[in-house]
Amino acid sequence: MRAPFAYTPRPGVLQEAHPAAAIAFLASIVFVAFLFESPIVVAAAGAGAALAGLLAGARRAVLVALRLGLALLLLITVVNAIVTDRGSTILARLGDFPILGRVDITAEAIAAGAIIGLRALAAMVAAAVYTACVDPDRVLRLLRPVAGRSALTATLISRLVPLAAADHVRLREAAALRGPAAAPAGRGPLARRLLAGSLDRAVDVAATLELRGYGSSAPTAGSGERRGRSDLRLWLAAAALVVLGLGVKVAGADSFEAYPTLEIGASAPLLVLAGVLVAAGLVPLRRRGRRRRG
Amino acid sequence: MAETLVRAGPALACEALSYAYPGAGEPALSDVSLEIPPGEFALLAGRSGCGKSTLLRAACGLVPHFHGGVIDGRVLVAGHDTAESGPRDLSRLAGFVAQDPETQVVSTTVAAEIALPLELSGASAAARARAVEEVSLALAIPHLLERTTDTLSGGELQRVALAAALVTRPGLVLLDEPTSQLDPVSGDELIWLLRRLNEEWGVTVLLAEHRLERCLAAADRVIAMDGGRIACDGPPSEFLDWALDSDAALATPAARMFSLAGIEPPPAGVREARGRLASSGIQPVAPVKAPDGPRLGPDPVASVRGLRVELDSGEQSREVLRGVDLVISAGERVALVGRNGAGKSTLLKTLAGLIEPVAGRAEVPRGIALLTQAPGDYLVRERVGDELPGEEGARMLDLVGLGWAVDRDPRDLSGGERQRLALAIAMAGRQEGYPGLVALDEPTRGMDRARKDGLAELARNAAARGAGVLIATHDVEFAATFAERVVMLGDGRVAADAPAREVLAGGWYFATEVARVIDLPGVITVADGAASLGAQR
Repeated sequence: MRAPFAYTPRPGVLQEAHPAAAIAFLASIVFVAFLFESPIVVAAAGAGAALAGLLAGARRAVLVALRLGLALLLLITVVNAIVTDRGSTILARLGDFPILGRVDITAEAIAAGAIIGLRALAAMVAAAVYTACVDPDRVLRLLRPVAGRSALTATLISRLVPLAAADHVRLREAAALRGPAAAPAGRGPLARRLLAGSLDRAVDVAATLELRGYGSSAPTAGSGERRGRSDLRLWLAAAALVVLGLGVKVAGADSFEAYPTLEIGASAPLLVLAGVLVAAGLVPLRRRGRRRRG
Repeated sequence: MAETLVRAGPALACEALSYAYPGAGEPALSDVSLEIPPGEFALLAGRSGCGKSTLLRAACGLVPHFHGGVIDGRVLVAGHDTAESGPRDLSRLAGFVAQDPETQVVSTTVAAEIALPLELSGASAAARARAVEEVSLALAIPHLLERTTDTLSGGELQRVALAAALVTRPGLVLLDEPTSQLDPVSGDELIWLLRRLNEEWGVTVLLAEHRLERCLAAADRVIAMDGGRIACDGPPSEFLDWALDSDAALATPAARMFSLAGIEPPPAGVREARGRLASSGIQPVAPVKAPDGPRLGPDPVASVRGLRVELDSGEQSREVLRGVDLVISAGERVALVGRNGAGKSTLLKTLAGLIEPVAGRAEVPRGIALLTQAPGDYLVRERVGDELPGEEGARMLDLVGLGWAVDRDPRDLSGGERQRLALAIAMAGRQEGYPGLVALDEPTRGMDRARKDGLAELARNAAARGAGVLIATHDVEFAATFAERVVMLGDGRVAADAPAREVLAGGWYFATEVARVIDLPGVITVADGAASLGAQR
């Protein structure tokens, strides 16, 4: 079984595009999600990223990211509701606790936590689409002029995610094969083992890169990375999202206040930006080839 | 294109080389001096931990540039001192294939992986395409070019790593157990490919290997190491004489068979052995007892019927098992053999419930303990006792001979000890200590003969206590040692299922060296062979 976030070569706009264009497109969605407080915009960014992933063929990666992101959203919401004593709409009084003091659950704290979680979810979906659709080999090629002679830097940046994903699959299998009397693998030890193993693997890969001659000749910018037919579309979408997002933000249309009472604005510019974000998810849609007559 | 380094002098020269890894008490190499002229095919032999891998790493510059540590003496690769030239500079002179191919993959697709060294040296797209095509044809992997590397089997990865090392046509090729994950067919093909490169193109080959029976006949010279020092350095015949006197476990099965039968000198390969028997007029005699039939007991511990399994291999799923039928009984010791990608690991994982079949069924009524190809994945804690707590844990540690290691960090154990610990973790708490089926996937990777004998003993003990033992292996010599029955998978189906003495004696590739020399039904081990020769003499 392959890791859900592993890159899979398949025909698609994101896969065939220049990696810089694909990264810029996905990064612009995340940028807007982090720029705004409005839940409408943040949710639209998540929806746009998910739609882009589905159209690019990364259905499994998107679904797993949504599942993990929703769990994280729930966790952040609960923690924020418990530790934050701000907000005027008290839903429940849980009493006094050591360290935490008096714990009141407010609607405002729940909403503020949910926004943070929603933002994390949008970023996770975009990251999942990136790992599943953008060829790490081409990213590495792109990074070479930046990373210079440091193979290790480039390796860690571009290879850690796929390495960790592959190791995770193997470790999960080994955990499932432990006998009933063996100590359960446990999330903590497994996570530590995964981190240590991935770093070891990354160092091994860096050694291999050195052996393959990485850094032995001055690489040219992009190392001849080919341009995709849809690059322009991706660059334009990225630019439009960034410009529009900054414009709406500077215009002061990002109206969301969690405290002391919840205020969610839904101005026209915000709704337009949200619509554009969702529509941006359609950018990876492939055009059907025209049939020739005769 | 990067500037070309001038090649001068021997392909590899070590002058009084000593080296210790950072923090290590004992040096890994001590006063090693050798010279390998261009165009030589040399083998590095020796037990696990004797310094073979370290010497190869010193020859490609990883030692000390990547690993650090304390080094004394000099290493020269085609005249270039490795103290001044690091691995990236030496990459144009020497190609290196390490023991574990999984750590050598740096690209996502096979084509990109093979093309990477050329790309890094500035070769044109056309030159890259041609070289990838040629090297993939030479290694019989053109069908893998479009696959992603995370969907390859261990053997396929090893061939891809070798292709990436050869694609720049380096003058010196350093290989650390390159056949350890290859099936016998691919292993033989690889050795003869290296020999052809060596003969036709003058490529110098330095190859570390435990299974010398695969490559001794192709070698010009053998360098045997012991405790970081060179213990023997000479042609294969001289090495075999030394090994039979000093450490018989290093000698090939055919050489040990000749030695046991009192025939001298020991042969360096099957062809030489058969020739020597023919010229001496020695006719091996068939054993009196006919081979046993499969011992199918009344108590099946694994039952597989019409099993079909598909795996995701990137763009689409791939049918790996195409209707497998198999029954294993309690107390049976079964070897599962077959070519790389034949479906051995998939069958084991399906039996363990890790893979859902698309059709058929795989049942293990009394449970299964499966040890995968990476035993280190089972070790997630920093104390052996924490992996296996309580009385049952202590009992399992005693069972695998690790009762003494309860307070040790698993990372401080040797490779064989870690493997036994992982097996204990997989078995702990199963029915009365042993589950119905104990399954191991390629457990002999990187093992010397002594450790393989220990593993075979462990398998025999498990079977004696009522467990069925199923071991997937490419090592036919190991299969002959422990198995009484051999199941051969071919293209996702059972191609042969018969007693070990029948399967391992009747073929060209999936046969032991003794069987290939003697070529008589039922003769597969050194003792069998010596008896068949001795009986006539």
